[in-house]
Amino acid sequence: MKLDEELLREICEYMGSDLNSAPCKIIRDHMEACPNCEVYINKIKKTIEIYRLADQCEEIPDKVTRNLLTCLKLDDPSQTCKK
Amino acid sequence: MESNLPEEEIVARAKKGDQAALSQLVLNYSDRIYHLGLRLTGSHQDAEDILQETFLIMVKKINQFQGKSSFYTWLYRIAMNVGLRKLKSKPRKYEHISLDDPDFERVSSEAASEWPDFDYDIVNDPLFRQKLDRLIERLPEKYRTVFILRDLHGLSTEDTSRILQITPSNTKIRLMRARNFLKENLEKMLKAEMQP
Repeated sequence: MKLDEELLREICEYMGSDLNSAPCKIIRDHMEACPNCEVYINKIKKTIEIYRLADQCEEIPDKVTRNLLTCLKLDDPSQTCKK
Repeated sequence: MESNLPEEEIVARAKKGDQAALSQLVLNYSDRIYHLGLRLTGSHQDAEDILQETFLIMVKKINQFQGKSSFYTWLYRIAMNVGLRKLKSKPRKYEHISLDDPDFERVSSEAASEWPDFDYDIVNDPLFRQKLDRLIERLPEKYRTVFILRDLHGLSTEDTSRILQITPSNTKIRLMRARNFLKENLEKMLKAEMQP
């Protein structure tokens, strides 16, 4: 398994250890050889990726931005909040 | 207003009542705050309400921003408070569920249950996105908020902790549980989607 340094850092952070500590070495050695951990981690990554992509599909409507600027009186001071 | 001004300068001008600087801050952050509200509540109308209330507070209180934290941390904290208040004012859509740590016995057999092949284009389907929304809405707020800030908005553990006023350890534990819950349920969803 290709070791994911960023993830290892997170796991070690979670444990309160730095990357060169003994607990991190144990994790590193395990992850380099464990296909089960790899599958688990990949599923977590895909979960996050799916949600991020779904978020990108939802753009803020122009009308909402216009209403916001009107509400804040940043476009025309005579206007008030409305939807 | 020059578009390449550092944020500290824009904030300083906004504090003096510079309308262009205030508009710039609104435009810089409106998309993120709208998405925060949308993920938190699952409703476009509520997201718009949260957006407006957040920036109304920002304009009113920007003089109180002392620069002890970054501007976005300060703004996100306002938005999160507004959003959580909004959630509390509405009847809960789903029964409260309690989340546990991952079942590590099960993790050890993950390899036997690979996810079905899927194309990321599936997220372009509004019906699929609706299902994703329903899933995240089932997460209790204390987990949902952490997942939104850390994984969807890419905030650090430290900033997330400051915004939610919880310890970094709590942030990490909540994130782990939220990710695990979503992974487990997304797996079921994808398997159902891929069935002929």
